[in-house]
Amino acid sequence: MKILLMGHPNVGKSVFFNRLTGANVTESNYPGTTVDYTKGWMKIEGEDVEIVDVPGTFSLDPKDKAEEVAVAMLHESRDAKVIAVIDASKIERGLYLAMEIIEEGYPIVIALNMRDVAEDKNIVIDADRLERILGIPVVSTVAIAGEGIKELVSRLKEAKPVNVDDIIANAANTSDTESAADAGGAA
Amino acid sequence: MAGQSSGGAIYFAILGIVTAAFGLADLLVTASGSEFAYGGILEIPGDIFRGGWGGIIMLFAGLFYLSGIRNFDDIHQFAKVAMGSILIWVVAGCDIFAMITESIPSWEEETGPWFNTFPDFIATYAPPYAPAVLLLPFSLVVIYYIRKRASGEEGSGNSA
Amino acid sequence: MKLSTGERWDLIDKISKETVTFGAYKHTLKDAIGELTVKPMTGIPVAIAIMYGFWSVFGSFAGFFTDGFFVRLFDAYWLPWLQEVFPGQGGWIYAIMVDAGGIESGEFVLSSNCLESFGVLTSGLFVAIGVVLPAIIIFYLMLALLEDIGYMPRLAVLLDTVLHRVGLHGYAIVPTILSLGCNVPGVTATRILETKKQRFIMMTLLAIFIPCGAQIGIMQDVVPDLMGWILLYLIIGYFVFGYILNKIVPGKAPEFLIDVPPYRRPLLSNIGKKVGGRVKGFFVVAIPFVLLGCAIVGVLYQLGVIRFLGDALAPVFVGWFGVPKETAGPLIAAFLRKDLAVAQLSAITMTPYQMITAVVLVSIYFPCVATFAMMLKEGWKELLGALAVLSVVVFTYGGLIHLIGILLGVA
Repeated sequence: MKILLMGHPNVGKSVFFNRLTGANVTESNYPGTTVDYTKGWMKIEGEDVEIVDVPGTFSLDPKDKAEEVAVAMLHESRDAKVIAVIDASKIERGLYLAMEIIEEGYPIVIALNMRDVAEDKNIVIDADRLERILGIPVVSTVAIAGEGIKELVSRLKEAKPVNVDDIIANAANTSDTESAADAGGAA
Repeated sequence: MAGQSSGGAIYFAILGIVTAAFGLADLLVTASGSEFAYGGILEIPGDIFRGGWGGIIMLFAGLFYLSGIRNFDDIHQFAKVAMGSILIWVVAGCDIFAMITESIPSWEEETGPWFNTFPDFIATYAPPYAPAVLLLPFSLVVIYYIRKRASGEEGSGNSA
Repeated sequence: MKLSTGERWDLIDKISKETVTFGAYKHTLKDAIGELTVKPMTGIPVAIAIMYGFWSVFGSFAGFFTDGFFVRLFDAYWLPWLQEVFPGQGGWIYAIMVDAGGIESGEFVLSSNCLESFGVLTSGLFVAIGVVLPAIIIFYLMLALLEDIGYMPRLAVLLDTVLHRVGLHGYAIVPTILSLGCNVPGVTATRILETKKQRFIMMTLLAIFIPCGAQIGIMQDVVPDLMGWILLYLIIGYFVFGYILNKIVPGKAPEFLIDVPPYRRPLLSNIGKKVGGRVKGFFVVAIPFVLLGCAIVGVLYQLGVIRFLGDALAPVFVGWFGVPKETAGPLIAAFLRKDLAVAQLSAITMTPYQMITAVVLVSIYFPCVATFAMMLKEGWKELLGALAVLSVVVFTYGGLIHLIGILLGVA
């Protein structure tokens, strides 16, 4: 199995990578630290899993060479699962990239990283509800402190491709009644 | 609250004036190409790096203090005061680090003891000091205000 | 199924309305300080202070190890011991490995320090371990701190206007600063620039004008008084030739958008890992090259190639650049390692201004072999272009520095 870590620049993909694989990829607090992909291995429930730290990209429409590397990596790995790492304090932009990846049919898990920063900014995210709407696992994490990494790994197997229509339907339903959203998420 | 912060404002106003004056003195001494010492406690460096660049930074530190004291309670204004202290910490920290690295080796060219003798080691830390080092303890007062502010914010955050 | 950009945003809007609540956003001290470091009026003094701190700590730390301990260890113990025990004094193996010595009033005399001996085991080890190693350890430590705190993007915003003049934008400061450690990661980091033009300009400027940490370390040790002038010439060159390149290289130099991350407390473990990894990289790559470079230059000396080159190129060296013809040797070493080249320059007798010119020439004349290989990996067309620019720059700028020296009456 192959897992791609994708997300905007400077959301902590390399931190996840190092935490997951025990590798030593350079982590820094500036966008564009990773300009080439790095591969590493980890074991999940006895199975060898290849993890790829992909350079940050804003969308699947590349703007520079590092983003080209990222998008090419995604398209080369048709059978891969994706961990979409989202900066919890800038969730909308992160969801944009995640939606693009969902639309291309990749099974995906969302890591809402940097929850601590979001809390500093008084931003509260209802991860359960987001999970119900999107129909995929959403895990709150603070990767740098190691929080939420275990949960993320344990839920990787729930990653599955979702139909965009379902998400649209869920998003519409949930505004009407909470219970309807529950039903939609379960379906 | 208001009384306390006006006390802070006065304190940092005085510190700002002194800091800026030291910065100017650094620059003047460096420009004149000499060294200046006073009362066995103060020594103004005269080289381009410590006196020149260091002096510019001290001058800026003073200006940061002075521009931050008006409306001291506002976070943006207070940040300037904090920044003034941070600049002093940078210069003083560099001076102290230089002292430490200077105090340990014997600096002998040929064979001989590797490390400094104990009295010489201690003597490195004796005054006179550069202005930034002298101002360092006074600049630390800002930590008290940062703490006070942080606890104040926490209080209001909980009640919200 | 794929959505259009508008549909996608609509959907995300809906989702985030359902799941995200934005509380009152209150500025923290961290944010306010963050803003101060980005606005020019307050940001420039802060940047000056940070560079001051960087340089001061760098000098203290490197001086502590190099002048405090390693110079003695190598000059007073290691060199005399090797001179004593290594067999075949005066022979060519001895000259290459330990001490090429010198001829004084017709007699062979041994060198008195590790910078003059030119031997692989003496000069080579001294430069690599005694001088450069402490320098790059402290450099990478400080760099890692700045990176992890989150200062780099702020410096990028601050310098955006200036760097636009040379066809780049603020983010170019990231490859530039990384190059100050080693040009190789600097070249890789040019990938974050958007257009071919920007990448080309950046790569060329890095390869020519940015001295690497190893080189800075050795300069700080052997020519500390001239550092200011050397760096000034390099910085001026960076901007002047960047400006010219921006005018003549076709292509676009778009605006840049950057997320300035919040300041963060750096994690000790991450800093340790990063510095450790980079220093290990130095050991693996640089030390063999320093030793190899020492050996090659030693062999070329023994074979008389360097004397021949020096004589043949004397008109260029002496007439055009105004430096002694012996500079030919270090310039060959510079292709392998620039730190070694500067060390070898320091053993040649010349005036301070000649030294400034020679060190600047060593810096700008050719990227070291590791950088060369990295540039080749990024594209051979760019590499050829960069080399073409480089030859023009070396001749014009080298001559110009000589001319300035003549006009100032110091050359």
